[in-house]
Amino acid sequence: MDFRLAPSQQILTTTARAFLRQHYPPEHAQRLALDERGFDEPLWRRMAELGWPGLLIPADLGGSEGSLLDVILLVEEMGRVGLAGPFVASAVVATALVLAKGSPAQQKRLLPALAAGERILSLALVEETGSFDPAAVALECTVPGRLTGRKLFVKDAHVAHELIVAVRTGGAAGLIMVPTDRPGLSRFPLDTISGEKLFEVTFDGVEIRPGDLLGAGGESRESLAEALRAGSLARTAEMVGGAQHVLELAVEHAKMRVQGGRPIGGHQAIQHACADLVRDVDAARALLYVAAWKAGEGRPADADAALAKAYASEACLTVARRGHQIFGAISYCEEHPLHLLHKHIQAASLDFGDAQLHLETVARAIGLNGRS
Amino acid sequence: MNFDFTQAEQAFAEEVRAFLRAHPPDTFVIDGMDAGYGSGANSRAFMKTLGAQGWINMCWPTALGGREWPMFMKLVLMEELALAGAPFGPLAGVWQTADAIIELGTERLRRELLPAIARGEATFWQGYSEPDAGSDLLSLKTEARRDGDHWVIRGHKIWSSHAGIASHGLVFARTSREARRSRGFSMFVVANGTPGMDIRPIRSMTGEVYHHEVFLDDVRVSADVMLGPPGEGFQALLNGLDADRFWGRFYKAPALTRVLRQLVDYANTTIVGGAPLAHDPVVRRRLAAVAADIAALRLLFYRAGCLIRDGAPLTYETASAKVYADETGQKLARLGMDLLGIWGPLREGSRWAKLGGQISHLYQTTLGHTIAGGTAEVLRTTVAVRGLGLPAEPRPTAESRAR
Repeated sequence: MDFRLAPSQQILTTTARAFLRQHYPPEHAQRLALDERGFDEPLWRRMAELGWPGLLIPADLGGSEGSLLDVILLVEEMGRVGLAGPFVASAVVATALVLAKGSPAQQKRLLPALAAGERILSLALVEETGSFDPAAVALECTVPGRLTGRKLFVKDAHVAHELIVAVRTGGAAGLIMVPTDRPGLSRFPLDTISGEKLFEVTFDGVEIRPGDLLGAGGESRESLAEALRAGSLARTAEMVGGAQHVLELAVEHAKMRVQGGRPIGGHQAIQHACADLVRDVDAARALLYVAAWKAGEGRPADADAALAKAYASEACLTVARRGHQIFGAISYCEEHPLHLLHKHIQAASLDFGDAQLHLETVARAIGLNGRS
Repeated sequence: MNFDFTQAEQAFAEEVRAFLRAHPPDTFVIDGMDAGYGSGANSRAFMKTLGAQGWINMCWPTALGGREWPMFMKLVLMEELALAGAPFGPLAGVWQTADAIIELGTERLRRELLPAIARGEATFWQGYSEPDAGSDLLSLKTEARRDGDHWVIRGHKIWSSHAGIASHGLVFARTSREARRSRGFSMFVVANGTPGMDIRPIRSMTGEVYHHEVFLDDVRVSADVMLGPPGEGFQALLNGLDADRFWGRFYKAPALTRVLRQLVDYANTTIVGGAPLAHDPVVRRRLAAVAADIAALRLLFYRAGCLIRDGAPLTYETASAKVYADETGQKLARLGMDLLGIWGPLREGSRWAKLGGQISHLYQTTLGHTIAGGTAEVLRTTVAVRGLGLPAEPRPTAESRAR
């Protein structure tokens, strides 16, 4: 057993931390959150030059062939600064789907462009039930045919070139690729407290061609579940990175802020709160790494991933909320970095299923009988 | 990163499981109560069987009779024993004492005690706390004065676990007056039954005896039972307490896993209001949430174990993990009582008791865990000050103490 990062992983995280500190200061995060488009294209291109979007992609298709754990470590650094943008949607979830399900021709067309950051994809899954369960998908589509209906909470649809739309086709779960400029497709932004760019996407008789089906068709539920798990782990990594940053900011503040002649961090009430933050972050991170490692090794990891996501949702949100209490009034200000980290954690905790959904997976894994 | 056990570790785990199948834990005579920490009850017979297996001294140097196995084998052993509910109560304390004797012990302590420890015959009680010295241990009053090549110990110790059935006490006493408050303490390994030692049981809230108070009325011991250099006992004690947080709590996660499995089974098989308890969404979520806590707890202990194995510095890790272990145990016990409802408070042996009455026992014993071995408050302060570098609270001056 070994909890240490491999040398290449150390380089990856050190590089990422330095890069993001330089190119993504808190003021910039704040600007992007308030900006309608909220997408820093030059930064995205620089990230592509570093090979980040290609981390999951094989070398012969333009990627750098990293492990899922490598991706998770990188996304943890992104979560640290509350990085906005389509990395998880495109470079993790959509890329995982194309890798798992795409035909050789689709992989050849899409993966090099995804690795180079030239093409951005996003998954359209959730419907009005609000559920991330693939079984909850009701949108019907025949291929070829016309697609009419809507998807909600589609991330970064405004910058995506194509959407991977989860549908039911011929009684099976299917995935279809729809370019965002195809007639009949419309995108309406949802206004969120985090500044995350989420959209309602409507399809009004959108033409679906035979080649739009991802892969050879057939049941896609397994590929979808695997990609959702990767996405869920990535959002868990964002939470852990964000919570780690909140912890560091809060401890720094507790050392510097003097009231009544001494730093507030000299008081046990603050000390004990900080001690709990450490525990929350450490525990969430340990569960995350084990789940990502197992998934990356191709072992059964659904329960581990669910455990990690459920735990981090509770623990990291607690860290964020206690962070506000330690900081006091100043953290209530828009220009203070804490609230965005908090909202980023909040958003990540709901994405790919909230804690209740994942706890249900854990409940089954520990052997609790279900209703059926 | 790699979260697998080595082949040797896996093979040893299998060996331990086979041993436990051949020697079912519930067939061993119990001598002292299970205090709920996860190491089960105190059973001399089980300790002797572990000794016969060669598992008590497996990590010692070969020159001292050991096999020089890596320290991780101890974790493998404890995890399997705890998962099976084996009564290995004194094992972790025995290991720590043996390590201290190997590192610091006199020729006599090594010669007399190590073989007895290896056979599972020697177990130890801690004589640290006193009626007026709990979290503030340095205010203790027990003193030892030099008398030729002997020391004469006088004082009053309390909260000494299983002192009545152990073979020796580790008695912490002041041996000189020095300017620095933390100097001038020494540790003695004192055999039970030494004249002047009076061990009295304290009945606990469970109705059983776990703690004792020990009166030391001019107990005369040879100078070569002092463990470590004279006057330097406090640092050794702190190191010991640090280790205690790890070794004395490592097995909590597997032990709680065992209890969790029993509660899952109970929820699956208990009909409430016409449906199995397991169908209640609140029950499902609470059990799943504690399962996540236990999984995280186990990893934090393995992470600390890796740091210890690799010789990496530890600052806050064991303090943080101990608090988490104890609070998770309390959470699970509380949940167990909630699930059992009206049946919960029934004692072991009581007609109608569910799950052998052990949940009500765990509910009571776990209350002590956030107090023993460093209170949760003291340890959170340790995490904040040693781990995060927050400023320590100002220490009271001699003057304010006097007031």
